[in-house]
Amino acid sequence: MDILTQQLFNGLTIGSVYSLVALGLTLVYGILHIPNFAHGALYMLGAYITLTLMLLWGIHYWIAMAVSVLVVGLLGVLMDRLVFHPLRNAPPIHDKIAAIGMLLFLEAFAQLIWGADYRTMTTPYGQVINLFGTTATMQRVLINIGAIAVMILLYLFLKKTYIGATIIAMAQNREGAHLVGINTNKVAMLTFMISGGLAAIAASLSAPINLVFPGMGHLVILKAFVIIILGGMGSIPGAILGGYILGFTESLGATYISNDYKDLIAFLLLVIILSIRPKGLFSREGF
Amino acid sequence: MKVFRLSAFLVMLSFLFILGGCIDNPSNSASGDGGGESQTEETKAEEGEKLVSIGYTGPLSGPAAYYGERSLNGLKMAVEEINNNGGFEIDGQTYKYNLVSLDDKYLPNETAANAKRLLQENNTPIIFTPHSGGVKAMQVFNEKENFLIGAYTSEPAVTAEGNELTVRIPPSYDGYIEPFTNYAMDNFGKKIAALPTSSQYGKDWTEALLPHWKEQGGEVVYNSSIDFSKDTDFFTLVTNALEGDPDVLFIGGPSEPTAKVAKQARELGFEGGFIVMDQAKLNEMKTVTGSFEMLNGAVGVTPLVNSDYPGTAEFIEKYKEKYGEEPGSEAGYHYVGMYAFMESMKAAGTVDDPEAIRSHMQEGLEAIPEEKEVYTIKRIEEDGGFTTGLRIAAVENGEIVTINVNE
Repeated sequence: MDILTQQLFNGLTIGSVYSLVALGLTLVYGILHIPNFAHGALYMLGAYITLTLMLLWGIHYWIAMAVSVLVVGLLGVLMDRLVFHPLRNAPPIHDKIAAIGMLLFLEAFAQLIWGADYRTMTTPYGQVINLFGTTATMQRVLINIGAIAVMILLYLFLKKTYIGATIIAMAQNREGAHLVGINTNKVAMLTFMISGGLAAIAASLSAPINLVFPGMGHLVILKAFVIIILGGMGSIPGAILGGYILGFTESLGATYISNDYKDLIAFLLLVIILSIRPKGLFSREGF
Repeated sequence: MKVFRLSAFLVMLSFLFILGGCIDNPSNSASGDGGGESQTEETKAEEGEKLVSIGYTGPLSGPAAYYGERSLNGLKMAVEEINNNGGFEIDGQTYKYNLVSLDDKYLPNETAANAKRLLQENNTPIIFTPHSGGVKAMQVFNEKENFLIGAYTSEPAVTAEGNELTVRIPPSYDGYIEPFTNYAMDNFGKKIAALPTSSQYGKDWTEALLPHWKEQGGEVVYNSSIDFSKDTDFFTLVTNALEGDPDVLFIGGPSEPTAKVAKQARELGFEGGFIVMDQAKLNEMKTVTGSFEMLNGAVGVTPLVNSDYPGTAEFIEKYKEKYGEEPGSEAGYHYVGMYAFMESMKAAGTVDDPEAIRSHMQEGLEAIPEEKEVYTIKRIEEDGGFTTGLRIAAVENGEIVTINVNE
């Protein structure tokens, strides 16, 4: 087993999950300038909904995931309508407090209905495969392929469709978009929908390699924030690249420097990148 | 639009509730009544009876809630049994127990605050807590304020410092070091890679095990730790740990994530044995790996369901009936611990003098009725640690086998 290729693969896997979570976060930030702390809770709910559908009705993994994307997406929309939309004229700090409140609420809610214990998601893709000398499970390969497929689809959606163009327009200039007749409320809801959906996809893909529990959102949300700061707040290529940079730093740092310092290395990298490019790798120009 | 929005919200909410209401994990379904203060089903002192309050402070919300609930369940069962059997009698006076539980979220500072509250409001002679941090926080003032700590932790340090009013209920992990090392070395080889949990307890365990391993002529090829609250994926760490081609992997932490580490090690082609820290239980790990096959060669503490003390079978049955799941050792030890304290109170002839209760603990242990011996605790050491006959277990050919250890 060649350790370098193995660790590159591990970095790719973890980077894919990070990127997907960060993408949802950066989309919302790009449009509404809200740091949505509750995104981690959406991630957790995505995993729980997929798991519940699979356990309860024996629904197939992919279908369960699709339902979960829909449900969490709608939950995102609901969050926008009930919380962020009424706060649109409030000082920015109110959005942040509201987001943290949502995070705490959703976590306690999940513990109330699903219990505090760890659960396992078993997928039909547990088999071990050997890929050019690296060991992987089918699920891990799926994470990588799934993440890249989702990224391509998102890109095509934003660049090639009319609705996608309205999102970009709004990210570039909210008032301008409003002036040319774009319904900014609808675009905001759509963005939350996509953001929630991305969280559900990331959670459903990665839950089988870890466990499902109410606190699982914490594992990724802090890192997702690091990633979008690293990549440039609101930038989509930044979120993707940032996710993979963090994934590779963790896996290679843990291998060649020290596992105990891997978080240190990641944050050191953040400091270095920010001191060279204070706005992040890609300063935002409408994605 | 308003109506539409409201109805959409209600539909979503009911959908979530339906989802949540029905999900049932066959292996471990926790009841989610965590948080806040709760008392056992209203204990009322009847004519001529007196109530003795017993305190419990443990994690009843947050990531460790499941563990805290199960610990509390053991105490609850013992208290309810004692009360339903008419309480106990000292000098012609009948007493019943009143269990008061508080949530400390696994935080030592909260434990200390809870202990003060229990003392002031309920005047509890004994306070149980299931984590070493909480024990240490209470040890700061327990001798001065005069109450006994029922410490459920295998950390030897809690009794090493000579606190006179601390009773350590489970055996200290010191005792496991030698038999685990022997088993793993004899069966697999001398190279070990350590990947324990990054808590203080995990570090202490590692520091106890690895020097002994080296003394026995073994070699440590990798030593790091996993932070289960931060790492999304363990593949990276396990890959590194396996790079030195170890024969044995030392793992530990909460059962479920620990099992995930073992599973990923197998996926990466590891064929050696595992030494499992006492926090993780082999039977609970099975719920994650699916079968014991994947854990072949793992050595750890004997799960309660595989133990054969005089009272174990009856306890397991009663627990299953009441809570619908198999009990873990935390429930069993709290149950038997409660009985030990009751018998000690009888032997001491007092319910509110912690020093006297502590000094009659040995008599109390001997007086525990056989059918209540979920664990047989032979004696209490000078330092306040219970000595339970050491039982360890290993997984061989997909089954748990118990291993006898010479004491």
